Amino acid sequence: MTIDGSKIIHAVMEGSRIRDAKGIIPLFGVYLSLFFVQYYNKLSFEFEKKMGKTREKEAEKLLIEAAQECGYATFQGIRNSREWEELVVPMIGNREDQIFSFAAVAVAFGWGDLEVKELIPRENLTIRVSDSYEATGYLELHGHSDSGKCYMLRGVTGAFMDLLYGEDYPDGCFNFMAEEPFCRAKGDLYCEFIARRSSDQRIP
Amino acid sequence: MKHIDWRSELAREGHRVILSGLPIAMHCHHYNINLHKMVEDTLGEEGIHLLVEAAEMVSYYGFQSLLKQYKQIKTIKSKLELAGTIYQNCGLGILLFKKVGPTGGRIMSLSSHHVTGWLSKHGRRETPGCHFSRGWIAGVMGVIYNHPPGSYTVEEKECKMMRRDECIFLVKER
Repeated sequence: MTIDGSKIIHAVMEGSRIRDAKGIIPLFGVYLSLFFVQYYNKLSFEFEKKMGKTREKEAEKLLIEAAQECGYATFQGIRNSREWEELVVPMIGNREDQIFSFAAVAVAFGWGDLEVKELIPRENLTIRVSDSYEATGYLELHGHSDSGKCYMLRGVTGAFMDLLYGEDYPDGCFNFMAEEPFCRAKGDLYCEFIARRSSDQRIP
Repeated sequence: MKHIDWRSELAREGHRVILSGLPIAMHCHHYNINLHKMVEDTLGEEGIHLLVEAAEMVSYYGFQSLLKQYKQIKTIKSKLELAGTIYQNCGLGILLFKKVGPTGGRIMSLSSHHVTGWLSKHGRRETPGCHFSRGWIAGVMGVIYNHPPGSYTVEEKECKMMRRDECIFLVKER
């Protein structure tokens, strides 16, 4: 069965309007917050800037790892939630449909217009995004870059594969790593993320 | 806060999620706390400053954008009430603005997204850790009292991440 992203978007929008008495939004097994994308962009790109040219690769690695660990824990929580069981499981026909469902949740969260372009089970995943808030934010704040800047989406793409084809949770994080060969921040038409099995458990 | 139509404030424009005309992202405690800890661990005091400043700048412009759409909200009291409502509606927690004026004040929080997230991931801290909330408060105080960003310092005197009963923020005009 095809995953109906509009149902997931509807559930997230409705659920995000419900907070408990403590002002917390518990949804899909995680605590959600709603905040302007400029915050995440300022934090990531200012962090990178403060690390300087000599620590540029380290900054990139830390930002991707923060996102991948998050994606790994977040989507594990999501796929074990009551909402997932009630809404998404009936749409899932095979194992790979989970990836399409994860992408639909990411769209619902406002992370961009994620589109799964290719999925070769156990090998690689390609996701294309024509409106990543990270690329948009980088262009607005700093102009064109000479490298990909969508660290959050890069980490999350790796996490999707970790959850499906990595070691059993919680040992599979970083079994896959994603690259971003195309990024709007460096002048490409869209951002593209390709996750492949990593030879190392961590970013080299 | 009866003046706010949250259903229309939080809307979608295609794949984008918009709050008060500005794009937002929904992120969970895993990402927010991972970023927080990574920046703080890597840059130390400079990282804490970055976390506060980023939240301040963005909450300043976000709250300013929201207030422009609600011109009927004029009094300081109703603006403070709106700030608390927005914080809560965004899933950030509960803020109680107590004894607040143009030169500063005291703000209490009984719960927050970042406290809940930090404690569930890392347990008790030895130092106050609500850097995001400090910045968020400084930003909205600037808008409410018509000062530019950077006009207020916010110190966290008590923090629930240290297993205290509440977070207490002391705001002072610079």
